[in-house]
Amino acid sequence: MDGRVSAPREDFIRALERQPPAGRVPHFELVFFLTMQAFGKVHPSHRSYHQWDQMEEKERELHRRDMAGLFIDTARRFEHNAIFLHPNPGTLAETLRMIDLVRELSGDTYFLMLHGDATFGIPNGAQLEAFAYRLADDADGVKREAQQMVDNAVRRAEAISQHGGLDGFALCSDYCFNDGPFISPGQFSEFVTPYLVQLVSAYRDMGFYVIKHTDGNIMPIADQLLEANPHALHSLDPQGDVDMAEMKRLYGEQVCLIGNINCGLMDTGTVEEAEASARYALRHGMPGGGYIFSTSNCIYTGMPLERYERILDIWRAEGNYAA
Amino acid sequence: MTDLSTLYDAILSGDHKTARSLAQTALDENTDPKSIVDKYMIPAMDEAGRRFEANVFYVPELLIAARAMKAAMELIRPKLLENHVEPAGRVVVGTVQGDLHDIGKNLVASMLEGGGFEVIDLGVDVSPEQYVAAATEHGANLIALSALLTTTMPGMRAVVDLVKQSPAAGDLKVMIGGAPITQTYADEIGADGFSDNASGAVNEARRLVGVTAA
Repeated sequence: MDGRVSAPREDFIRALERQPPAGRVPHFELVFFLTMQAFGKVHPSHRSYHQWDQMEEKERELHRRDMAGLFIDTARRFEHNAIFLHPNPGTLAETLRMIDLVRELSGDTYFLMLHGDATFGIPNGAQLEAFAYRLADDADGVKREAQQMVDNAVRRAEAISQHGGLDGFALCSDYCFNDGPFISPGQFSEFVTPYLVQLVSAYRDMGFYVIKHTDGNIMPIADQLLEANPHALHSLDPQGDVDMAEMKRLYGEQVCLIGNINCGLMDTGTVEEAEASARYALRHGMPGGGYIFSTSNCIYTGMPLERYERILDIWRAEGNYAA
Repeated sequence: MTDLSTLYDAILSGDHKTARSLAQTALDENTDPKSIVDKYMIPAMDEAGRRFEANVFYVPELLIAARAMKAAMELIRPKLLENHVEPAGRVVVGTVQGDLHDIGKNLVASMLEGGGFEVIDLGVDVSPEQYVAAATEHGANLIALSALLTTTMPGMRAVVDLVKQSPAAGDLKVMIGGAPITQTYADEIGADGFSDNASGAVNEARRLVGVTAA
């Protein structure tokens, strides 16, 4: 028996807005990569469409519908309240078509979101040194680039807003390692926070919801993340010592909390450890609402599917608010 | 004579141009290159590491300190070679097979160089055989393995096992690190050393090769 009292999308929005909760705690994952195991299909992000433009439109449409169907099937089977669309190819035109298709096939059942970050995250290994040097040698240039990134993202969001159909953005620039942010809180306040504030504000002004994701230990910059006023913080990474109980105590009145189920334990821990992590997140996240059940990253390639199904069983049994 | 405490300060503050200039001045004044490294440069990097562990320095401060260290070392290394001065140790570093992440590996490599080690960086997606072959070829004392993914962690055990089975490896040690890695896992697979951060990796490397901080 499904514990939802209304449509998945509405439950999700109620949690984002920290309204009084009812029914089952909402749930979603940033990505569910195990589509081959679950549905016998390659995840859209793992498909190579380098001949996209060469295809007949009829064939492109078949691919679009296949991907849209897979996003919806994933949400249905694992009872997600939201779908994080990963359009492939990722052009604006294909993104808008994907929004339309998912709405056509599933109506307003699910909350739809897209990638929307435009702030500096941890550069990849090859670029990390260069970025560190730029911070020291060309601070003004880094700030100009940060502003340009935000301006571009806002223009894209305006086009999506005019088109309609999308509910929000997930901002997925990772800022933190397990032991803390990739730049000092002081540099973060100079090179990231002002731009994150602008970005979230612009998205909110257009009526979008905003979920800010980052892995790692966010505690040294948590206040700055909250200063940007996202609707939710995602990941709350226990591998970075982020604790759901502490987050709830410190920030539960300001922002919706998503995640905290230890992906490391789901992957390499015992079943009991993974279960305990899910129960801990539920126990400390649920009180008063403003909480969405999720792992601390995503259902990534290599994670045992049965572990995910096991924590979903716990969610179904224990993630219900009193009537 | 130049006051070389300014070289220490230049490295610690990440001022690579001043560090290089002071190193050149010191060499021009016939200062013993080994004493420049041991008394001023490595202590500066050690202090950067201490500040990193204390959350006073973050990754960028660490990297620009390492850049300043390298800028000075470019001038001093040829003199050390002329004087037959050996590095603190030779370390083969790399990210294990199947894993393409290199942020942590690069940080550790920079800090090891700053700590006076010669580093042979094999990059990412490195097979057990490549580690052992490179260690043998370069006469390394130590292999440093990095992994970000829980799914690639088992590759570390394969390297440890191969080192133990390889007669050519001799007294070669293996240390490991990476986001999902713990001391418990290091013990479980028989790794000789473990660190959960780049600065600690230098101290662990020193312990394993039997040298003390300058």
